[in-house]
Amino acid sequence: MKITNGKDFWAGLMFIAFGVAFMAVAQDYAMGTAVRMGPAYFPTVLGGMLAVLGAAILFRAFVSKIHHPLAVFPFRFWFILAGVILGAIAYYTQASRETNIAWQIGHMLLSGLAVGLIFAGFGERSLWIILFSVVIFGYMLKPLGLVISTGLIIFVSAWGGHEFRWKEITILSVALAIFSVAAFVHGLGLPMNVWPSIWE
Amino acid sequence: MDALFQNLELGFSVALNGWNLLYCLMGVLLGTLIGVLPGIGPVATIAMLLPVTFTLNPTSALIMLAGIYYGAQYGGSTTAILVNIPGESSSVVTCLDGYQMARQGRAGPALGIAAIGSFFAGCVATVIIALFAPPLAEVALKFGPAEYFSLMVLGLIAATVLAHGSLIKAIAMVIFGLLLGLVGTDVNSGVARFSFGVSELSDGIGFVSVAMGVFGFAEIIGNLEQKEKREVFTKKVSNLLPSLQDFKDSWASILRGTALGSCLGILPGGGALLASFAAYTLEKKVSKNSANFGKGAIQGVAAPEAANNAGAQTSFIPLLTLGIPSNPVMALMIGAMMIQGIAPGPQVMTERPQLFWGMIASMWVGNLLLVVLNLPMIGMWIKLLMVPYRVLYPSILLFCCIGVYSISNSPFDVMQTAAFGVVGYIFVKLECEPAPLILGFILGPLMEENLRRAMLLSRGDPLVFFQRPLSLTMLLIAAFLLAIVLAPAVRKKREEAFVEA
Repeated sequence: MKITNGKDFWAGLMFIAFGVAFMAVAQDYAMGTAVRMGPAYFPTVLGGMLAVLGAAILFRAFVSKIHHPLAVFPFRFWFILAGVILGAIAYYTQASRETNIAWQIGHMLLSGLAVGLIFAGFGERSLWIILFSVVIFGYMLKPLGLVISTGLIIFVSAWGGHEFRWKEITILSVALAIFSVAAFVHGLGLPMNVWPSIWE
Repeated sequence: MDALFQNLELGFSVALNGWNLLYCLMGVLLGTLIGVLPGIGPVATIAMLLPVTFTLNPTSALIMLAGIYYGAQYGGSTTAILVNIPGESSSVVTCLDGYQMARQGRAGPALGIAAIGSFFAGCVATVIIALFAPPLAEVALKFGPAEYFSLMVLGLIAATVLAHGSLIKAIAMVIFGLLLGLVGTDVNSGVARFSFGVSELSDGIGFVSVAMGVFGFAEIIGNLEQKEKREVFTKKVSNLLPSLQDFKDSWASILRGTALGSCLGILPGGGALLASFAAYTLEKKVSKNSANFGKGAIQGVAAPEAANNAGAQTSFIPLLTLGIPSNPVMALMIGAMMIQGIAPGPQVMTERPQLFWGMIASMWVGNLLLVVLNLPMIGMWIKLLMVPYRVLYPSILLFCCIGVYSISNSPFDVMQTAAFGVVGYIFVKLECEPAPLILGFILGPLMEENLRRAMLLSRGDPLVFFQRPLSLTMLLIAAFLLAIVLAPAVRKKREEAFVEA
């Protein structure tokens, strides 16, 4: 038995994992009967179907005539593991929130690092840098305001591309910051603060 | 007939109302603006622009979205012709001959005939919708939960059969989509399913997040991975109007494309993609000098463009009458309707005639605006094609983020979208077509509800789906579709059809 089609192999595993996960989590809810279906009924059936299909795809990976290498995309297991561990720490320390600003910033950095690590577990540099820039923007928009967040997302995401030209990107961020403030805050009236919330 | 004219009159009075006209125009312009960017297709465009429409009232929002759709499609063909980069699979065909025409210095006529063909197809399709939607909606009003469930099964199966790539993966993606759709509070029991204590998830996974992540972000990243190598034909776009000879050559193709596209668009899973592939193949078969195809035959641009616009529009029929999306674009439309608080289905036509007919009329208006505005503005769109991607994508990302954030002012939504970007990237790498996923995602809750109701009414007897004639018919068609795709001969043909064109 040799895996010929790496794409089918991973896709099969992915579907099996999701199917089983949905079935497993659904067991916490009431199953009900066929007449009165509980919240667990439909997800369990679907999860089972997904797992079966996943198994079929996995099987196909061994007999497929189409050849794909097993390394379909970069996958860094340790990054994901580290990210999950840090994420769990961040999740459980969340409740004991104090007003201490340094503590809050520390917690934010920890969560950010966890998310970044999980993203960085997949794919090439451009993938995780760009998606991480999106997360940064989302979480920084309120504390830092639209102008600084715009700069952040533009610089970080541009850094994820092939070429990075300082001058061009600086001009772009300034122009986009002015445009977004004018169009979204003043034009459409979206409730966003322009400058860091501490200043206002 | 009288009713038809009355309805259309109502529709036009809504569509031509100042604000709606403005939104339609804005939609068309924004759609073209994003759609013209290389590598970004209509689904990604609509996903990115969805949040823009949320502040509007439902009618205006849907009119604008429809405008965005046509604009994006038109923008996509412009890119296909000038840069040879198909924004989405339905303009792959346009690339073949359109780009060759551009290389021969006939980019102008290629763009012109694409626009004119699309406009003609749009006019015909608008009439077809107005004619066929009401009777179909009447039939649909008689549907019980069993029929609805079977209809959804049929729709989903058809969508997977017509999707390209592996059938079994497509079905797995549908089921995965259905499961994702179930995340959130269960209507019957009030249990927050699969939310893991995250309060944001108890409302369900954000529809915009899934669409924008899987289609938008994943596409941006996919484009970045391919090194830029573009050859834009810009200076040669001078004479936009096709010559008399061009018209003589292509009018029949436009007619055939329109007819074919209108029929295929109604089918679940059909829409623009299938229509344009089928139209190209048909033209090649019909043409006396089929050797010219692929070398800049104007028929090879006219027919698929007409077909894909006709198909795009008639695929609104199942959406508006049955509430069933036939392709990912329609899934986005349903998502937008639900966010606006409209339950899609046959009752929309009777309960909200203004919205229904206004949207239909606005389709025609949108098409007209495209021809009137976009043709003269082609110079501007070409300039946009010259902007390097390294400047474009950060800007697109920014607007996407602001859009997602503004839906509920929540950083969680932005994060969720980024996470679906990772998921979308993995799907692409594993050759799992994401379109069926979004269909499943939309239909998940509906399907569960109808299944529950049907089973409750039948006292738990699953045979109910086979005893009711309409339901049985739909299930039989679904089984038949699966059977023919699995038949080895058809399977080979299907693979060829998607590879060849």
